[in-house]
Amino acid sequence: MASISMRSLVKTYGDFTVIPGLDLEIADHEFVVLVGPSGCGKSTLLRVLAGLERINGGDLYIGDDRVNDVPAARRDIAMVFQDYALYPHMTVRQNMAFALEMRGMDKAEIETRVKRAAGLLHIEDFLDRRPKALSGGQRQRVAMGRAIVRDPRVFLFDEPLSNLDAKLRAQVRAEIKALSQQLRTTMVFVTHDQVEAMTMADRIVIMKSGIIQQVGSPEDVYERPANLFVAGFIGSPAMNVLPVTVAGDRLVLSNARSVQIASLGSKRPAALIEGATVDLGIRPEHFEVAPDDPNAIAVTVDLVEPLGSDTLIHFKLAEINAIARVSPDLRPKPGDSLSLSPVPGKIHLFERETGEVIR
Amino acid sequence: MSDAAPSDRSLQILNTVLLVLAGCVVMVPTLWMVASSFKQSFEVTAYPPTIIFTPTLDNYVALSETTPFLHYAFNSMIVTMASTALGLILGAPAAFVASWTRITWPAIVTLVARMAPGTLFLLPWYVMFRQVDMIGSYWSLILTHAVITMPIVIWVLIPFFDNIPRSVYEAAQVDGCSPARVFWRIALPLVTAGLAVSAILAFVFSWNYFLFALVLSNSDTKTLIAASFNFIGEGSTNWGALMAAATLIALPPLILAVIVQRWLISGLTLGAVKG
Ligand SMILES: Nc1ncnc2c1ncn2[C@@H]1O[C@H](COP(=O)(O)OP(=O)(O)OP(=O)(O)O)[C@@H](O)[C@H]1O
Ligand SMILES: [Mg+2]
Repeated sequence: MASISMRSLVKTYGDFTVIPGLDLEIADHEFVVLVGPSGCGKSTLLRVLAGLERINGGDLYIGDDRVNDVPAARRDIAMVFQDYALYPHMTVRQNMAFALEMRGMDKAEIETRVKRAAGLLHIEDFLDRRPKALSGGQRQRVAMGRAIVRDPRVFLFDEPLSNLDAKLRAQVRAEIKALSQQLRTTMVFVTHDQVEAMTMADRIVIMKSGIIQQVGSPEDVYERPANLFVAGFIGSPAMNVLPVTVAGDRLVLSNARSVQIASLGSKRPAALIEGATVDLGIRPEHFEVAPDDPNAIAVTVDLVEPLGSDTLIHFKLAEINAIARVSPDLRPKPGDSLSLSPVPGKIHLFERETGEVIR
Repeated sequence: MSDAAPSDRSLQILNTVLLVLAGCVVMVPTLWMVASSFKQSFEVTAYPPTIIFTPTLDNYVALSETTPFLHYAFNSMIVTMASTALGLILGAPAAFVASWTRITWPAIVTLVARMAPGTLFLLPWYVMFRQVDMIGSYWSLILTHAVITMPIVIWVLIPFFDNIPRSVYEAAQVDGCSPARVFWRIALPLVTAGLAVSAILAFVFSWNYFLFALVLSNSDTKTLIAASFNFIGEGSTNWGALMAAATLIALPPLILAVIVQRWLISGLTLGAVKG
């Protein structure tokens, strides 16, 4: 139970700078999810927090303590490693009990905690096996169990559910969420899974090349992405991005000026200059099928992907591929034409050069 | 074997031939030695060697009657076991640290020390032990033999430690282990095979090393291998007794190898990481 404070934190490997200077405050009890493309420094940041990597600049506080020089063993942090890192010579039970033993907890209490964690993760049946006799998903749950038996100041999870099947993943996800509300321990959770990020996080941190792009609640980063990168990273399928030109209170496709794609309405941002070219972002779910709307865009369906709960329609807008998410009742065929219009108020505008949002 | 691909056949034959060759090089002198130790004295040097003979224990009896053989054996045991233990106690943590920090130059220094001929050390050792009046003590032999055992232990164990995934050490640190505890609770149990190998090698090298014992021991602490040189050339050499001595000297390392081989299982680190 502790806050975490990173101040101008720098991490380099030789000449290679992974984190060029990062500021982030994580509140006590907060559940923070770290997302970003592969190689952006998520694991590195967790290792820095755990004390497995020395920082090359800046300060790191856990609670009120400056821990720059505090070794991992004395930081009181529990971590699930991306590659599990189980103790091969110990049984599952011993793996989970090890950290508690190191802290001198009494046997009965250890046993209770191991039992409870094993139940939560559905690994009671192989408590007496060695890691090599487990499947990948089972190993991952043991790695998870080794962390959650503890009562640390901070939990660090590095993609802890990546190897589980969909059903188990949903179950364990719900259990971690419940656990975090029950234990009220600060958690930092790395994932590539959009659903995990959106459902578990109090706040999401989106990173790219070691630089934080945006920090915000799931609603925040989804509804108000700070830049094109975040817009494209959060949400699946990704947001459609179209180059448009400002013409009065209308936005027309830059390479097909006859097509009006949206109107700005009354909330026109001051930064928008007449005739400027900007990037327009529309999420697939923010297209409406509007056969009667005279301003709707007529598109030709290229491909239909029925997902069950809804249907994805692929089409082209002036040579640019775009996707709309529509009701599953609608079953157009490739070649059909469809009238789509963006949901008013749900469009995003980004500066051409910087990719920053225009508000 | 019948399901091997045809192209593998010649490889198999080559393999067999090499095994037989290696077997001959190792086994023929050994068998000859063992057989000779059970022959009458005149048969030992007979040419051509007799294949069929009536075994006798005369040589062994002669050995125990004319020399304090058991006492020498006891000396050898003390020196070898203690120097092997010392080698393990000093070498295992050293190998662990060299592997963890990837700083190997101190280990290389010990290796150079090991490679250098023993005579290089002999004089300084002798002068030093003379000054502290330790010539002829077990400790002088144990300490000098540790110069042989420790580098063996270090160099056998480094690759074993290198094989342990780094993240396993890291997990242990996060779980609250000091480096000493990582070594004791995590690293050491994962290199038992390496410990067994290095213990055997250290034991054998120390057991067979005679130069230091020749100079630093006295008649009371003389080791078996050093003493056995007295059997040669005292007037006429008793070849039969010498063979018996050689057979007995060869026995302990052999027994040790058999005992320890059940620890020589590999793959102990399987299952630690993703795969
Ligand atoms: N020990 C190291 N030495 C040099 N470079 C390293 C080292 N460890 C990581 N890196 C580099 O640092 C960058 C960040 O790596 P990191 O493992 O933090 O990525 P990640 O965001 O966790 O990616 P993934 O999602 O694939 O796990 C990568 O470019 C990687 O190559
Ligand atoms: Mg990673």
